[in-house]
Amino acid sequence: MSNRMLALMMGIVAFLILAVGVVFVIALAGGSDDASPASNGSENRPRSASGGICSGKSLIVPGSQPNTVLDPIQVVDVSTSEYVVEIFGGLVTLDPDLQVVGDVAESWQVSNGGRTYTFRLRDNVVFHTGNQRRVTAEDVKYSIERAADPANASPTVVAYLGNIVGLKDRFQGRAPSVSGVKVIDERTLQVDLIEPSDYFIFELTYPVSFIVDRQQIESDPRNWTRNPNGTGPFRLAEFKPAERIRLVKNPRYHLGAPKVDEVIFQLGGGSLLTQYQNDEIHLTPLPASLLDSILDRSNPLSKDYRSYPGLATFYFTLNPNKAPFDDPKVRQAFAMAIDRETIRTVLLFDYYDVAQGIVPGAMPGRSSSVKTYPYDPQRARQLLAESKYARNMPRIVLTYAGTGAAPGDLLVAIQENWQQVLGVTVELQAIDTAAFLREQRQGNFQIQSEGWSADYPDPENFLGKLFASDSPLNYTKYNNPEVDALLKQARVETNRERRYQLYGQAEQKIIDDASIIPTFWSVEHMLVKPCVKGLPDAPMTIPKFRYVEIKEP
Amino acid sequence: MAPGLAGYIVRRLLWAIPVLFAISVIVFYMLRLAPGDPVDSLLGQRYREEEAALIRKKYGYDQPIHIQYVKYIHNLLKGDLGVSTRHQSFTVTEIIIPKIWVSTRLGIIALAVSFFLGISAGIYAAIARGTFLDPLTISFWLAIDAVPIFVAVPFLQWLFAVRLDLIGLSWQGFTSPNIILPILVLALPGTAGIARFVRASVLGVLREDYVRTARAKGLPERIVIIRHVARNALLPLITIIGLSLPGVAGGSLIVEQLFGIPGIGAESFEAVLAPDFDVILALVLFGSVLFVLANILIDILYAVIDPRIRLGAQRG
Amino acid sequence: MSTAVSTADPLAFETRAVSNRRRFLRQLLRKKLAMLAIAYLAIFYTCGIFAPLIAPHDPYQQNLTPGATRQGPSAEHWLGTDALGRDLASRVIYAARTTVVFTIVVLISGSLVLGLGLGLLAGYRGGWIDTLIMRVGEVLAGLPTLLLMLAITAAFRTRINDVAFWLQDNTFLGNDARTFVKFSIIVFATVPFAWIGTSRIVRSQALAIREETYVLAAEAMGASPWRIISRHILPGVLPLFVVGVSAGMAGTAGAEVTLSFLGLGIDPPTASFGSLIAAGAGPQTFERYPHLLLAPAIPVTLFFFAWNLLGDALVDLLEPRTQALR
Repeated sequence: MSNRMLALMMGIVAFLILAVGVVFVIALAGGSDDASPASNGSENRPRSASGGICSGKSLIVPGSQPNTVLDPIQVVDVSTSEYVVEIFGGLVTLDPDLQVVGDVAESWQVSNGGRTYTFRLRDNVVFHTGNQRRVTAEDVKYSIERAADPANASPTVVAYLGNIVGLKDRFQGRAPSVSGVKVIDERTLQVDLIEPSDYFIFELTYPVSFIVDRQQIESDPRNWTRNPNGTGPFRLAEFKPAERIRLVKNPRYHLGAPKVDEVIFQLGGGSLLTQYQNDEIHLTPLPASLLDSILDRSNPLSKDYRSYPGLATFYFTLNPNKAPFDDPKVRQAFAMAIDRETIRTVLLFDYYDVAQGIVPGAMPGRSSSVKTYPYDPQRARQLLAESKYARNMPRIVLTYAGTGAAPGDLLVAIQENWQQVLGVTVELQAIDTAAFLREQRQGNFQIQSEGWSADYPDPENFLGKLFASDSPLNYTKYNNPEVDALLKQARVETNRERRYQLYGQAEQKIIDDASIIPTFWSVEHMLVKPCVKGLPDAPMTIPKFRYVEIKEP
Repeated sequence: MAPGLAGYIVRRLLWAIPVLFAISVIVFYMLRLAPGDPVDSLLGQRYREEEAALIRKKYGYDQPIHIQYVKYIHNLLKGDLGVSTRHQSFTVTEIIIPKIWVSTRLGIIALAVSFFLGISAGIYAAIARGTFLDPLTISFWLAIDAVPIFVAVPFLQWLFAVRLDLIGLSWQGFTSPNIILPILVLALPGTAGIARFVRASVLGVLREDYVRTARAKGLPERIVIIRHVARNALLPLITIIGLSLPGVAGGSLIVEQLFGIPGIGAESFEAVLAPDFDVILALVLFGSVLFVLANILIDILYAVIDPRIRLGAQRG
Repeated sequence: MSTAVSTADPLAFETRAVSNRRRFLRQLLRKKLAMLAIAYLAIFYTCGIFAPLIAPHDPYQQNLTPGATRQGPSAEHWLGTDALGRDLASRVIYAARTTVVFTIVVLISGSLVLGLGLGLLAGYRGGWIDTLIMRVGEVLAGLPTLLLMLAITAAFRTRINDVAFWLQDNTFLGNDARTFVKFSIIVFATVPFAWIGTSRIVRSQALAIREETYVLAAEAMGASPWRIISRHILPGVLPLFVVGVSAGMAGTAGAEVTLSFLGLGIDPPTASFGSLIAAGAGPQTFERYPHLLLAPAIPVTLFFFAWNLLGDALVDLLEPRTQALR
């Protein structure tokens, strides 16, 4: 018996030595050769320098599974529009500097006090397949008509094209067609708007008005999106759900053919950074938790690093119809109790920027005079003490859409801020996305944590769409008559500078209300192989892969 | 085969029908009554009642639940499992069949590895009975079994892909060496169970008279083990194969998630979170059918191995 | 945890009456490895239950000063700190508390009430009740468990906050109420599938004992069903029940850890082995901060290992074939 006992003990000890020991033995052995934590970066291996992914003409990038079908009028999210903007094109598009430039349209004129847009179409735009059919004004009209057809149930058409005369009537089934879109001749299209709009041209860069092939859709209404025919710089060649999406170049692309032959989006696979180090992909976004180790100068990967400000804002929505946030002082106290600067430097390693407003800092036309509440614990405590909930603070629950992901340390840090500074108890609750959105819609929450990323580069996309009381996208039910008046004035203002100013004023009022607390602005952090040239630092989803060239450094 | 076998299989299959019916009702109602539906996550923050109503109509979610259920069953019987709300241009069948195929191949390879390791370890432990090697072997595999998969995966990924830099982590199909890690992670935990089973079985056989006779005849121990012991001791393992089959085709959620393998486990996870009603239902029904079939298979195997077992007798 | 077969399948051993409980206990005591496992589990459960007394620091106390986060092990922080500067050792001890509360809740609700109760009922009463219970069990066993657990947790976790707050205000649970209710959800998702194996064992054992002469005699003498169950059947069933439960314990605790790892378990900042491991998982994170993964992974692995060993030892004691050889 004692022998058996001894043997079993040895078994356990052997296992422990194996499991724990191996970790340190290998770590130490590696460490003695080379002190850097990632000694086996791409430079150390010969197979990355010669041959491998830098020798061919195909770009391999990590992709995300499209949430919806590859149909421009159904796109609601970045994961789908990433592909749609490369496959399809609209009247206008965005260049890498986020300026509106002609795509199918060669030029356009605004007349009638900003109410009429007249587009002159190029004569060399052809669809990918199908006898190289040339795109005419009829195709553009068909695409907009199709988007407005209630049978197609486009989730975005009213929000982005609702200003076109007759579009809402068509969508609600009260009219047979969109009266505001008129074909003048084969190369001229006129669009009439209900009210003057300077940002309408930006709205046209959103996929919902992109041009689709009528012949293809009518001959195969159910399955055409499996092999969609567009006018974009790339054509869909392969789509295996959860495995890969392969786009091949459109050699006849009217704005200049892509320099790579194909772009392969890997939808599966393990740790992206490891894949990047192993030369399995050309670029990868970086998670916040690894930023400090990448930026470490001794890490060879630090040479591949690049970052640029993004066009997304993270914020908390405090429900002004629910206690205790019906008291503005409580809301302001919550805004002033968040120590964003410390969280940014210590927890996030500068992964985000501290938000100075609702509109992201990189957004063209953002007013630099707009300021958010500073971190001021004393003032925050004072405000709370003055509020009507000073003595009887109800329970506070913060909800966030969090299923399927590890909970964010960011929220836990902010929760701690509130609890420490204000002495209140805030519970964090993760719920699934569908329930989160329903709760939001029904106004049945106290605090929600969320974000918005730009659809097109104009402050209107954040302020007008989210906070005008009559906007279809005002999901927070924000309603402030003063803000409404400013937003309405801005909406029809055709002088761009004046319009930006009006948005700045509205933004400051929304922030002062403190029912929206902007916390951080997104920053894009990426590793890109040195052989990938010309990739634009685009903070939004724009067609960008046609600029890329793979060349040995 | 026993004459009652065909009748028995028919009885079991008939009994499976109400079971599957009950399961489909439970799951269908549970999904439809839960807060949040596919339209919420489909539209996201851009949700508007007007568009949502149109989409609900498109998928038939606007009708009473029992009508939806009847329609679903009606289509199911025609072989139509519905359309995925996440991959709208693909039918449920088109989505799940290739994924089941991926998971099944992966599972079978892992099972083979697991059996190879388990049988070797089991026989070894049985022969080494009385020495410290027997408990060492078994407790080693028990220890491996105790390591949670999501601990093993980052560790092995770090060891093989980062530190030793032997293999990559992208999904390249079954011909790439990248497949080794997922197979290893899938195979190792099951080994302990097989090893213990084999060890007990071999020990049982070693006591049998024919083994003693063979030894008495002076046959070398190696021959005795291979010819007499292994063959008789391993036969009962067939039932374990039967028991493992539903798990094999069902895939492993964690392993598929962490390695980004386009299998049925990862698919179910994403379908549940969306929620993607028709895909979830199809997966649940698929899992249940497998379970029922595997149980019938096990019963038949029991009968084939040991004719003394009466079919249809209460098990357990 | 495993793909092929669960290591300690409660059905893998033959069920047979264990006549002498003392002999059983004595044999168990003689298995030193099992004792070692029991000792580890005792320590683990003690740590969990008395976490507030044992933890060296407040597990929720953040320290967001440069250099204080993600420290390696030191004299001040035995297991280092996490990304928010919280003491990892204390968080691991509180994670043990989470596991302890969870396993106890499942033990009571799933194994004791459903498994033992329904098994006894089915075995003792027989007839249509037996058929009904066993058929329901068959239906539940036929469902893909993890998938449904996910669906249930995703669907119901929103609805229970009010219940949690009510318990927090009106019962002795206090601040643990939220944790407790969160568990009930996971329990609610686990238990419907956890009782079947146990109750099958209990049932067949009860069936066997019920036919023993002394039980029949007691029945003939007019003993009440309650008396027969408590005096005659239960003592005979109990050892097997304990074996079944301990064999399945690693799997039960594993369910919570898995759900928390996937972000569907317990909400932050409450510690769970699943969320602690998730924070340290990832090959690059492990390269740079190995303690983030190892600190929670080693105790929880040993916890599973101990239950495996204990289950293994108990199965051995009741498995006649191998027992005869020892």
